[in-house]
Amino acid sequence: MSLLHRIEHPDDALNWHGDMPTEGRYTAGIAGERFFREIKEKGQFLATVCLDCDITYMPPRLYCEECFSHLDEWVEVGSWGHVHTFTVVHRDLDNEPLSEPRILAFVTLDDADGGLVHYLDEIEPEDVYLGMRVEAVFRAEDERQGSISDIEYFRPV
Amino acid sequence: MIRDVAIVGAGWSGFRSITPELSHKELMYDAAVRAYEDAGVDPRRDIDTFVTVGEDYHEGISIFDEYVPDQLGAVQRPVQSIAGEGIQGLAAAVMQILTGRFDIAVVEGHSKASNILTLPYILAFAMDPVFNRPLGVHPYAIAGMEMLRYLAETATTPEECAAVVAKNRSNALFNPLAGHGASISIDDVLTAEPIAEPLSRLECAGHSDGSVVFVLAAGETARVLSDHPIWIRGVGWANDTFWLESRPWGDARYARAAGEMAFRTAGIKSPAKEIDFAEIDDTFAYKELQHLEALGFCSRGSAGEWTLEGGTALGGEFPVNPSGGALGEGHLLDATGLARVLEVVLQLRGQAGQRQIDAAEVGLAFGWRGVPTTAGAAVVLSN
Repeated sequence: MSLLHRIEHPDDALNWHGDMPTEGRYTAGIAGERFFREIKEKGQFLATVCLDCDITYMPPRLYCEECFSHLDEWVEVGSWGHVHTFTVVHRDLDNEPLSEPRILAFVTLDDADGGLVHYLDEIEPEDVYLGMRVEAVFRAEDERQGSISDIEYFRPV
Repeated sequence: MIRDVAIVGAGWSGFRSITPELSHKELMYDAAVRAYEDAGVDPRRDIDTFVTVGEDYHEGISIFDEYVPDQLGAVQRPVQSIAGEGIQGLAAAVMQILTGRFDIAVVEGHSKASNILTLPYILAFAMDPVFNRPLGVHPYAIAGMEMLRYLAETATTPEECAAVVAKNRSNALFNPLAGHGASISIDDVLTAEPIAEPLSRLECAGHSDGSVVFVLAAGETARVLSDHPIWIRGVGWANDTFWLESRPWGDARYARAAGEMAFRTAGIKSPAKEIDFAEIDDTFAYKELQHLEALGFCSRGSAGEWTLEGGTALGGEFPVNPSGGALGEGHLLDATGLARVLEVVLQLRGQAGQRQIDAAEVGLAFGWRGVPTTAGAAVVLSN
């Protein structure tokens, strides 16, 4: 037996609107806590190191994804690096065109493996290129909350 | 594999950009009835176990598992739901048969994408809530960044990516199931509005509603049920690192790992020589090229030129996405990989109509779970 009757007029196809309100708390975790406190208090980055695999994890993690060992070696990492890849984003989260397109990049930091995904600014989209030297611009100390948004954006060095 | 497993029934409903007349449960029922008729089975009597794939946020309900048994004939039966790519669900059904405990299994996937009003937010919710989500960026930005890096590392050109769109949407014109068939030029694609440069709107698969259901059976049972069972020779799946900050932006390592596992189980040494055609995730045009290379069907950086020259076209030496792929059929959310499998089944059965590939004996289907994931799954099927 299959569907024997079909709705044949759009007006007969009923639907209801509903939403799913979700709120949550997201724990930064032991590694994330130390990373974001360092940004908030000192305006600099910290990474963890796996000495066996020779990997400096940015963002820092408590475990190595290669050898699965626990990491407790922390190092300071400079806030400069280069553009590994980027895109010019033309839509917002409502899928509407952005009045001003924004540049999002993955920046690999010089002193680490990995880096950070963040916006680029103080540059026009057509002037960005792969390998371009950039540095993080931090918010003023009294505006920092201990979040990824304490970095305003990266800009060309 | 330790036990032969075959697909003995295939059913579908959709694939259309809107289906205002059917609930998602009715889409599933419609596809299930076709699959059970095709296999000649009564679900209440013959089917031992059921697997569905889905994702709560796509359904707009929590604990979607509870919503699946009745429309599949699965009430009071073993039911497993998997939050994953459709082919991961197929793998789970295969494994249940391999245990020896079950002889007939069903796998189902579906999409009611037209009911989702905030899809970019749902995808953004999949990004790390501490490191990435606060940026408030449209998640297709990840695809734009991947595409740029892939182009740079492999010297693939935007024209070659656009050729994937022209090919797949044109293939879809020969597929009555496909909801997004179109005759478009490479230039149309390149001049379409940008979403996340270099990715244009026409390089992103639109969405479709639909459902896909397969009936799987163990060797002897399959031979009794079907004159033409389609054998599952090997399955593989893999995830890469979760972190955007640690993943290789230009390379689909998850596809390589998933493919290697599927080829190993299937006993395939040289995929390019032993497989006749493939249905490969093309959620974004560049992904088809990246996946083709990672799966080993051509060398890294050569898929674009191969596509531009027509090697992967219908009638080419190695047809890729004869169905039209996700670009031509529409992206079916968690069921997208199962739609890839469906085309492989139809081709191997010789039921692909105008788009039938001559002497198709062995085919591969590969699914990817979409941005921001690095989850891929592959299956090798043959006559």
